[in-house]
Amino acid sequence: MDAPRNPILRVRNLEVNFETNDGTVRAVKGIDLDVFPGETVAIVGESGSGKSQATMGIMGLLAANGRATGSALYRDQELVGLSERKLNKVRGEKITMIFQEPMTSLDPLYRIGRQIAEPLVHHRGMSARAARARVIELLQLVGIPNPKKRIDSYPHEMSGGQRQRVMIAMALANDPDILIADEPTTALDVTIQAQILELLADLQKRLGMAIVFITHDLGIVRRIADRVYVMRLGKVVESGKTSEIFAQPNDPYTRMLLAAEPTGTKAPPPETAPALIEGRDICVVFRVGGGWLGGDPTEIRAVDGISVSLRQGQTIGIVGESGSGKSTLGRALLRLLPSEGEVRFEGRDISRLDRGELRPLRKRLQLVFQDPFGSLSPRMTVGQIVTEGLLVHEPELSGKDRDRRAVAALEEVGLDPAMRNRYPHEFSGGQRQRIAIARAIILKPKVLVLDEPTSALDRSVQKQIVDLLRDLQRQHGLSYFFISHDLAVVRAMSDYIIVMKDGKIVEEGPTETIFDRPEQPYTKTLMAAALEGTALHIG
Amino acid sequence: MILYVLRRLASAVPTLFLIVTISFFMIRLAPGGPFDLERPLDPVIMQNLQRAFGLDLPLWQQYLLYLGNLLQGDLGPSFTRRDFTVVDLFRYGLPVSIVIGGLALSIALVVGLVLGALAALRQNSWIDYAVVGTATFGITIPTFVIAPLLSLFFGVMMGWLPAGGWGTWKHAVLPITTLALPQIAIVARLTRGATIEALRSNHVRTARAYGLPAYVVVGAHALRGAVLPVVSYLGPTAAALLTGSVVVETIFGIPGIGRYFVQGALGRDYTLVMGTVVVIACFVIVFNLIVDILYAWLDPRVRYD
Amino acid sequence: MADTTTAIEPAAALAPVAGRSLWQDAWRRLRRNRAAIASAVVLLLMAFAGIAGPWFTPHPYDRIYPQYVRAPASLDAYPQEDTIIPQFVSALERARITIGEVEVDSSTVRAPVSDDKPLDPRIVRYVDRSDLFNNARLEDADGNPLAEGATSGVMVADVQRVRFYFGTDANGRDLLARILIGIRISLAIGVLASVMALVVGVAYGSIAGYVGGRLDNVMMRVVDILYSLPFIFFVILLVVFFGRNFVLIFIAIGCTEWLDMARIVRGQTLSLRRQEFVQAAEALGVGNRGILTRHIIPNTLGPVVVFVTLLVPKAILLESLLSFLGLGVQEPLTSLGLLISEGSDNMRSAPWLLIYPAVTLTAILFALNFLGDGLRDALDPKDR
Repeated sequence: MDAPRNPILRVRNLEVNFETNDGTVRAVKGIDLDVFPGETVAIVGESGSGKSQATMGIMGLLAANGRATGSALYRDQELVGLSERKLNKVRGEKITMIFQEPMTSLDPLYRIGRQIAEPLVHHRGMSARAARARVIELLQLVGIPNPKKRIDSYPHEMSGGQRQRVMIAMALANDPDILIADEPTTALDVTIQAQILELLADLQKRLGMAIVFITHDLGIVRRIADRVYVMRLGKVVESGKTSEIFAQPNDPYTRMLLAAEPTGTKAPPPETAPALIEGRDICVVFRVGGGWLGGDPTEIRAVDGISVSLRQGQTIGIVGESGSGKSTLGRALLRLLPSEGEVRFEGRDISRLDRGELRPLRKRLQLVFQDPFGSLSPRMTVGQIVTEGLLVHEPELSGKDRDRRAVAALEEVGLDPAMRNRYPHEFSGGQRQRIAIARAIILKPKVLVLDEPTSALDRSVQKQIVDLLRDLQRQHGLSYFFISHDLAVVRAMSDYIIVMKDGKIVEEGPTETIFDRPEQPYTKTLMAAALEGTALHIG
Repeated sequence: MILYVLRRLASAVPTLFLIVTISFFMIRLAPGGPFDLERPLDPVIMQNLQRAFGLDLPLWQQYLLYLGNLLQGDLGPSFTRRDFTVVDLFRYGLPVSIVIGGLALSIALVVGLVLGALAALRQNSWIDYAVVGTATFGITIPTFVIAPLLSLFFGVMMGWLPAGGWGTWKHAVLPITTLALPQIAIVARLTRGATIEALRSNHVRTARAYGLPAYVVVGAHALRGAVLPVVSYLGPTAAALLTGSVVVETIFGIPGIGRYFVQGALGRDYTLVMGTVVVIACFVIVFNLIVDILYAWLDPRVRYD
Repeated sequence: MADTTTAIEPAAALAPVAGRSLWQDAWRRLRRNRAAIASAVVLLLMAFAGIAGPWFTPHPYDRIYPQYVRAPASLDAYPQEDTIIPQFVSALERARITIGEVEVDSSTVRAPVSDDKPLDPRIVRYVDRSDLFNNARLEDADGNPLAEGATSGVMVADVQRVRFYFGTDANGRDLLARILIGIRISLAIGVLASVMALVVGVAYGSIAGYVGGRLDNVMMRVVDILYSLPFIFFVILLVVFFGRNFVLIFIAIGCTEWLDMARIVRGQTLSLRRQEFVQAAEALGVGNRGILTRHIIPNTLGPVVVFVTLLVPKAILLESLLSFLGLGVQEPLTSLGLLISEGSDNMRSAPWLLIYPAVTLTAILFALNFLGDGLRDALDPKDR
């Protein structure tokens, strides 16, 4: 950047090891990092890269069976191996940290005012009154409305975004030199993410601290980081200025990461394609609470009067933030949830069919879930999982026939069929998602509802799944409902978009129209928040 | 909150009613009566006794009479200890049981919490192993084994403490110890487990990340949450301890109320048995309520409305 | 994290590779836990002792030996040497002959005898008259009947000697045999009661959890009410009502224990129903039976098994408590609780009557506890 300055944090040959029952796990295998005053450094990597463990090691926050070796100099003070008492003078005052899950990172038993005040009281020896005044200042600084009242709230009384602001307030309390942010926006909705990132950028400008931003999201990196370190399997594979890395990545892994942005578009189906599934005025209402001596139950309208029509060969992307009702809509369309309104499949009204009557239709309407870990039964083999549907819909098949079909299905999703006697926990996330897809397509469905199928996966794996889904759609003439909050993936997969908020449709239309010329203010906010910095193309 | 307490107390009434009714009819169904002594009584005397105690009335009438008396606080006369009413018997016996049970509970709480916390803070050290080992001991060995062994060792063999009886503070030591030991074990184990969980939690990680001194991290952030399962455990336990342990009272010859139920049931002393049932049910209900309120006070996420 | 996206050759690929199920993982973890394995061994030994032991002991558990009331535990046989020798000597002294050194072995007593005159064969009667000895005979040095007119020989008599390794109780019954029966009864009641609690609790809890809604509400209200009744009372009342019947006792105890099991199974079932793999099965069109058998029950088994290992010691304790209070199995049958109760009555005069049963019961309970802990760690591991 400028003339060489001295880094305030200088990490050399940092290693982090964990002693487990199965041997030593080497999470960080010797990395070098520099952080200069006032700059934003991003550490980017997928899960298992060691990016979080590295900073935990520097801050002395490893689990009991972890050990950090090497050197981490903060202004000439060696942090690695420092005693707890001496380390406590640095952390919370000179170097502070915010974490990924704000709900569990704050103590649920104490008011937020007290928690923010703690570092003030213990590091600066402030009195309770002075601390309280400063806390109110901080709350204002991070944009919490009505700070004089909010200071006495409990964490569970605040939203996710607000809790993260509270954590930021705590981190800024003692004017730190370095703020380490460990995936602070990953658990938040896209619009809230944008707000938090803006807040951090603004605070940095005002207060001048350095920020170390750990993330897996290249979009964020491009947006906020001056320099970036790319980590893979415990090592730094590439580092440098953000603009240079993004324009000309040297390392093949970096290149792969950058290329993993989902690309491509989906062509809309021909005009003559018939409507496969139609939903009209669908409402799903949940009743919560109530019971004797408890008062009236409250009504939650998860889906509030939605009409949608999926044509043969089409992919409709349903986007929205958490709580928008998109998953509920998907399940209502498949009649997995009771709902009001009408649902038609291939022209036939299926809204009021009971379970037995719906059963034969199930093979044509399938669902792939978000969580690859939770959607596979842990005590069944993969072969059994994939062929369970056959037991219901093609009971005349013999065991051998089912096995053959299992082999074929696994091959189709790109898995080695020799693995079909293994159990789900022996596979990676991406592989499990493939198994879930195999389970769905073995029945030769016509409509597939994909509920956030890639959200729990790393970017590089996401790309593979997206490619697989595209291939399957082409080969088998499938039609998809693609539900996601990840706009980049939705854009690449769908030809028609429905934007949902609070159970209602905010806007809908062909993909490019929605992305390039959104009309509704909410849609505009959504697009702006998600797409800044993610429109990348190599070359 | 007041509303919640009132609601709980209100819903306790039907439960109590159900308990009383079921117990009443169950004990009456047992063959034999309170006056079947080893030597059969003269039938005329038997008849007079029955009439005097109202036992010749039809059962449902007796039931209603009992309910009526109960609502006025009259638990009736004891059939086997004929010079006393049931209320008298409780007046003499309940304080004894409460004293022993209360002291045992308090000791168990303090010692158990401390030991459990220590073990969690020094996990896998010799302290941890010692605490866990002794705790397993205390939980496994039943009271009716500990009591006679303690009595044998300290009372008979060493002669340091009286082996039984009631009168001075020395008489209370062994019974209280016997009651407290298994409770210390259970509280220590609960505390240890909860503290280990708490020390691994994210909010304790935050406290450490902010350089808070160890006593704040452990004391304010870890232990406060770790106490919660202990509080939940306390409710039924307090009720059981304060209403006397039949084993301890039998072995050490303590004049508490613990033996009333068994002796009453064996001797068909209907009113005594019913009285014991009512008293114990009340204790259980009250302590469960106290525990729930305490829990809500400690954990702001729990709110009753 | 590379996916296996290799192309495959058909023939070789069709042979599947065996997987490692979660049960196998758990078994491996259990095997590594030495305390649990040791406990399992101890329990097997106890079970064996309880089942087969009483057939092997020389004394039936209800046989009374009036002459050996409260005999201390001893490796020596009874009557002991210091009882036999004086009696033998005093019996022979009446015969007015010279007596040499008396030897006692496990079933006979012998002493060389001699006199100036030939030994009168009728002197054996002096020995036979004593309760302790029978089959008194005169033999020569080689063990053959003594020849007529011999002046020296060996007086041999049979002595019935019994061993009471653990001593005898206040009625003169062998404690070892009674402990073995006690183990049998205590283990049987513990296991039977737990099995009953298991069956009732699992059925009740899984139905409540699976059906959900109002039925679940009602069923759980019932459980709550039953739970708040002081249940030990009902056990006692039941026993008082029906008498002290072996079958009734374990039914009564089982009735106390099924509530917790039902709660646990219901909780498990409820949380399983919300799991995505169950929803996935529903989306496939799998019926209730399929979901229960393939998805819910296999995943409930773990916590249920762990809970059963906690139930068995509770049941044994409850039975012991009942016996201690005099409400358990009837004489002459005995259980460990009853033995401890008798032992504590006789604590001052015969402490072994308390110590041996107490140690046995404690050992069983310990082993069950460690095994339960081991199973819990194996089935649901958390880094310690």
